[in-house]
Amino acid sequence: MSSVESFSLEKGRGGGGTGLERSTERITLLRMVFGCAAIGALLAAALFAPWIAPHDPTLDDLFLINMPPAWLNDDLAYFGIENAWAYPLGTDSLGRDVASRLIYGARLAMIVGVSVACLAALAGVILGALAGFYGGWIDNVISRIVDVWLSFPPVLLSIILVAMLGTTLTSVIIVVAVIDWTRFARVVRADVLQQRSRDYIDAARIAGGSDLSILIREVLPNVLPLLVTLFFFEIGIAITVETILSFVSLSVSSGAATWGDMIAEGRRVINEAWWVMAFPVGALVITILGLNAMGDALRFYLDPVLRK
Amino acid sequence: MARLLVTIGSIFLTLLGVSVVIFVILRLVPGDPISMMLPPGATDEVRANLERLYGLDKSIPAQYVIWLRNVAWLDFGMSTQFRLPVTEIILDRLPATLELVLLASLIALVLAFAFSVLAVWLQVDSATLAIDGLAGLAQAIPDFLWALIFILAVTLFAPMMPISGRFDPRTAQDFATNFYLLESLVTFRIDAFAELTRYAVLPALALALPLAAGITRVLKGALEEAMAQDYVMLAQTKGKSRLAIVLGEALRNAMIPTIALTSVQLTFLIGGTVLIERQFSWPGIGSTAISAVINRDLPLIQGIVLVFALIFIMINLASNELYRAADPRLRTVR
Amino acid sequence: MKKLLGPLAGTALAANVAFADDSTLTIAYNVSLPSWDATVGVSAVNPTIQSIYKSVYDQYIDQNPDLSFRPGLLTEWGWNEDRSKVFMVVREGASWHNGDPVTPADVVWSLERAGKEETGNPIQFLWSTLGNFTVDGNRIDADVLRFDPTIFKWMAFLTAYVLPKDYYAEVGAEGFEKAPIGSGPYMVDEYVANSFVRLKRYDGYWGEAPEFETVIFKFLPDASARVAEVETGASDITLEIPYEEYDRLAAKDGLNGVTTPVSDIGMIFINDVGVMEDANVRKAAAHAINKDLIVDRLLRGYGVPIDTLQAPEYAAFTAETTVAYDPERSKELLAASGYSPDNPVKFKIQTTRGFKPKDYEMIQAVTGMWKRVGIEAEIEVYEIAKHFDLRARDALAPAAFYNWGNSIGDPSTSTGFSMFGPSPHSTWDTEDVDAMIGPLWGEDDEDARIAGYQKVDAYIAENAMVIPLLQFVQPIIYRDGLSVTPHVANFLLPQNVSSN
Repeated sequence: MSSVESFSLEKGRGGGGTGLERSTERITLLRMVFGCAAIGALLAAALFAPWIAPHDPTLDDLFLINMPPAWLNDDLAYFGIENAWAYPLGTDSLGRDVASRLIYGARLAMIVGVSVACLAALAGVILGALAGFYGGWIDNVISRIVDVWLSFPPVLLSIILVAMLGTTLTSVIIVVAVIDWTRFARVVRADVLQQRSRDYIDAARIAGGSDLSILIREVLPNVLPLLVTLFFFEIGIAITVETILSFVSLSVSSGAATWGDMIAEGRRVINEAWWVMAFPVGALVITILGLNAMGDALRFYLDPVLRK
Repeated sequence: MARLLVTIGSIFLTLLGVSVVIFVILRLVPGDPISMMLPPGATDEVRANLERLYGLDKSIPAQYVIWLRNVAWLDFGMSTQFRLPVTEIILDRLPATLELVLLASLIALVLAFAFSVLAVWLQVDSATLAIDGLAGLAQAIPDFLWALIFILAVTLFAPMMPISGRFDPRTAQDFATNFYLLESLVTFRIDAFAELTRYAVLPALALALPLAAGITRVLKGALEEAMAQDYVMLAQTKGKSRLAIVLGEALRNAMIPTIALTSVQLTFLIGGTVLIERQFSWPGIGSTAISAVINRDLPLIQGIVLVFALIFIMINLASNELYRAADPRLRTVR
Repeated sequence: MKKLLGPLAGTALAANVAFADDSTLTIAYNVSLPSWDATVGVSAVNPTIQSIYKSVYDQYIDQNPDLSFRPGLLTEWGWNEDRSKVFMVVREGASWHNGDPVTPADVVWSLERAGKEETGNPIQFLWSTLGNFTVDGNRIDADVLRFDPTIFKWMAFLTAYVLPKDYYAEVGAEGFEKAPIGSGPYMVDEYVANSFVRLKRYDGYWGEAPEFETVIFKFLPDASARVAEVETGASDITLEIPYEEYDRLAAKDGLNGVTTPVSDIGMIFINDVGVMEDANVRKAAAHAINKDLIVDRLLRGYGVPIDTLQAPEYAAFTAETTVAYDPERSKELLAASGYSPDNPVKFKIQTTRGFKPKDYEMIQAVTGMWKRVGIEAEIEVYEIAKHFDLRARDALAPAAFYNWGNSIGDPSTSTGFSMFGPSPHSTWDTEDVDAMIGPLWGEDDEDARIAGYQKVDAYIAENAMVIPLLQFVQPIIYRDGLSVTPHVANFLLPQNVSSN
């Protein structure tokens, strides 16, 4: 959270100056390709985890503790295995297969990320749209709540909330969504507020559309490009926050293979088994880079204003 | 004048909201300071007695009213863990956090400035791509991971670099205030300043990198936009070098929107102190907050959350004002 | 912080600007000291902080590194014939860090203060068993209001510190926090909460003068930061680091290591609810755990498997009570209750994470072993605060991992408080065990009391009402040129470190 970009209202960023239009398009294309590749790999790992992963990610083997990745493993006799490539990325301090945990970790990252993004987007869009569309006291109340929410130090609040709700997958998802819905609410509210005064809304009104249908048919489609981008960012944020919570020993327990869990564990054995931490950190960074690149690129393609 | 009053009123209203939310959440969290201090063999009677001593035997609303009444007199209660007034603890630790935040922001600004100007000045695709990539990487790695990477790097490559605390505990610090860094600077004690900076630079850098990346992205965009304006063509025809134009006209025009757009990100940096201070044993309110949560030091958590809230509100206000100033079209909005 | 340090710090600070390295000992310590009142509040009952308290304050009675008792500020103590009175003789020649002598009045005041409810001493229920103090010269006599056979052992345990009566009255509770004084070997020089405390040798100390003039405890809750501190030479000594790191650092040039089993055990509390009311399930769970394998492989040999709540150094330890590793027996027991690996019995197990060495990993290994015999346990990680809350409300999961420190090694402070139903810390509450422990609280024949607890331990082991796992081993890493005497009570006392 602390580190991930605040999206706020940065319009026009990275925008096409006249001289740089062509190179901007090329960079955007590059981003799109990189984003697609990263997210594609992530999705594939998440969906096909049981078929790709060589081992059960939670199965420990105290005789195979901290075994190096296959290409560095020169002591097969000590570990009593014949083929080092049975554990391609080595094992962790409980003898669990790092590669399998990484793959199942992708699955949990997707579950956490997408659920959080959906929940936060749903709450944020509804409240933000209400505030922006109706204004008046509804806007006042919702904006006040947003103000209060934005005044909490997010890391501290998430730690307190997880302490309250317990360390399950569901509670981690709820906590991050509860903290981050304001991101959507603010952006949607500002956009709806701007659109409300446009002519086509008036036209729709005169044509006799109900508030709800105007909101859904006329206003939301215009907010959509921004929402899609935010959605991708939010997935990255959620995965990062899960790591932060693992870091303070407060994330999903029950031995589930989350990347945060692996990083937190690998940190303790970093000098003996760097691979336990290095691979999930790499996966985390590539995923966030991919999501950010994808968000940026999609925004460029979807938003006619940006493309000029 | 009226607007000022409304602003102050809304600050108080927000703080009140924050205090209610945190007060209720804290009392719903399992575990309380009393359970933590019950030794083997304690009876229910002992527990009841301790609850009475710490005022935890009353209902939540009643506890809140008592707390609020005391807060009106700037009395935030006693920390159950440190056994000192919360106000005193916060005043004592806040300077350390503020200095760290200040240094981190400074580092972020310098880095962002250097890289954006470089990118816009060079105007080469490969350079732009490289800087974009670096910024993306700096942003994708959260600050506490940067901190971890630095600590490991120090162990391996630079054992002389300090990784804990604010100064060498073997030396006495004879400063009049708790703003050691600032004080040593304004009193020209260069040796002390250099030594203190050595301790602060790694935690500050860990906090700064993600922010630096954020600012770079915005500033670079703003500079590019500014470079496309007519006055740049005019300056170019006058024979000014490209670098001079970037540093002169373009930067001036890009400054305000950049500050306005990134000041929100500053709140993330400040929120990040909670973890970074703990990792570097930095004696600020962030590390204090974590130990307060672990020990269920309710009055102290409440106090620290309110201080953070006040800082965040101020930054958000300033950011809104700047934004309004930067973009006249937005004046109609809110 | 200096502003908060008052008169004491003022004088001390004026003298020092920089220190020669060989007169300073820097300790990378694992917990932060929050409060200087060693008799009140959360930190008073935190065993890990006691090292710092013991450097600054004296206890009524002290403990040798092997847990045997030795005089502290009291040189003699005991009961009368019928145990209706106690006597204590206060040491002559001890003085507070401000130069005032330690008097019997200080001792009486400390004991009376500890016994008052309004002070907030968490062990108040025990200190209040003494009353009506009279002083004659250096001798204090007091009435036994309620007999407790462990009162003198407690005088070497939590909250048993003597504080200065007059000074405390003069500066008040807050003043004392800012400028604490004691009668121990070191005095507080500068204290920055959550960062460090610097101690100075007190030249007026009554005992043997410690070697180091200056001692710094750096508070570093993060183990990797502590490792980095000793590895880079920023600190001279550290403790409580992962055993992998211990092995690596101990083998390094310039660093040495020492490990010692300490008075702290890891155990799985069993709550007498749900499936745990079935003795077959409990026994199966106990027999399915290969403690030796866990210690050898997971803890790299740094741990002592135990089968009762008594570690070998404790008063009621006996090698006769054992619980064998026997997974086949577990399967039979489970089969008798209708469970099998295909139809496992299910319950929840709670554990801390990163609080004790390999705590979470051990529980993962345990659930792995259980899985093979037909027990499917779901792990939930909880915080320390939540554990205490659940334990006090008797709401722990059917199985819950936690540690149990017992630096005085008495069975009443291990088996007694953890298994006796009416104690708020017991998770197992059944009448059979209560009936066995009940009479032992007031037993004044020490041998009979110990034998009684050994019988209770055997009964508990037989019925698997708790699953003791292991005694923890404390790893200490220190730089060349130092020698360290480890303390079984898990203290890292600067007065026990010297250079050679």
